[in-house]
Amino acid sequence: MASSSDMGSADFESLSSTSDVELLKRAWRNEKAAPEILPYEGDLVERAKGQIELVEENIEAYVENGIDPLVVSLYQMDLDRTQFLLRSYLRVRLLKIEKFMFHSLKSEEAESRLSEQEKVFARRCADDLAKHFEESVLRKLPENYQSVLKQSLISEVDDMVPEPHLDTFVACRSKSHFTLNLYEEGESTQTEEMYRGDLYFIRYKIVKGAIESGKMDLI
Amino acid sequence: MYGRKGYQLPKDFASGEKGHLKPFNSKLFDETIEECDQNHHLIQFLIRHLSLSICIYFTNKVFCLIEGVDVTRKMEQEGLDVHNNRNADHYGALVHHLSLIHNKRCLMAYVHNRADIVRDLAWRVGLELLDLPPEIQDKLTTLEKRVLQEPFCSYQIVHGKSRNRVECRYGASKRTTNFTRHSMHFLKRTDAELYIA
Repeated sequence: MASSSDMGSADFESLSSTSDVELLKRAWRNEKAAPEILPYEGDLVERAKGQIELVEENIEAYVENGIDPLVVSLYQMDLDRTQFLLRSYLRVRLLKIEKFMFHSLKSEEAESRLSEQEKVFARRCADDLAKHFEESVLRKLPENYQSVLKQSLISEVDDMVPEPHLDTFVACRSKSHFTLNLYEEGESTQTEEMYRGDLYFIRYKIVKGAIESGKMDLI
Repeated sequence: MYGRKGYQLPKDFASGEKGHLKPFNSKLFDETIEECDQNHHLIQFLIRHLSLSICIYFTNKVFCLIEGVDVTRKMEQEGLDVHNNRNADHYGALVHHLSLIHNKRCLMAYVHNRADIVRDLAWRVGLELLDLPPEIQDKLTTLEKRVLQEPFCSYQIVHGKSRNRVECRYGASKRTTNFTRHSMHFLKRTDAELYIA
């Protein structure tokens, strides 16, 4: 009996962890804790929006049919929580885009992490800020120093573009047992065994790949 | 000279309360721009006084794009010894160049940090910018007031127009609430706090 109830609770836990709300919560937590913008969870956001609309329609129907107001308020609270998660997820991403707008548009890899609407937002923000810099500062400087992205014409790289600090320490939890390389390729072959459920406090760039592949979650 | 005015700009910004905006220090800003012009003028003066060999080396290192000449190849062709040709003019021009880019970084940081605060205000206040008290509006330049409005308009592009903006706040519900003076209502905190003055 005990073993079947344990199996039942394990099944329930694995089932609930794959529900869209749990996936949205995971995406929101990772996005909040990561120093850089993560790949956009487009399918998840669309499913969440669809479910929110469905629940809203159900609540309206319950109210019209005179269902117990307590039951309706419980559904409403659950809906509010999901809406908050979705809005907060999008808001965190927008704030990161605003903070690193030139960096987000610099390379195809960085731009591929944004949704189409976020790309439009980033381009418009970058154009507005570049225009603001030009009108406030750059036009008043000598000709060879008027670039928004470089200190002067002779700079070899875009040295005026702020980038996210991937060396930031983050707290994370492993979701499975795997081997993690502690250094980048070519530096050292030192590895660490990551066990399911263990907490780690580690530099983000070391666990970046594991987070994007779903092996670890940020907390 | 040598970045003295420029470094005062971040100090002036940091001297205010965190997250709060001080009035734009246009006097210090203009003095920093003037310092940049002086640096640039002296760089050009020193360049003209360098000998050809030094000029070629220095322009290769710093100003090759200005002269539009591939000076590396020219130096190799003429067999010039680069490292022995540096002199006071060379280092003087380099110092002025470094001062100029230092001032540029200070100016950009000052404008960028102010724009960050203004943008943060835009997220909180939205399109009610023009309803801000005059004491706050006086601290903003005309350009900054435009920065306030445009990002919020960009945000509406992300989430569609007013309908989706309403969806973000209220969902797709068509419920409306009418308030009369002195009436009492039982509302959720998240709905009521928008109307609290």
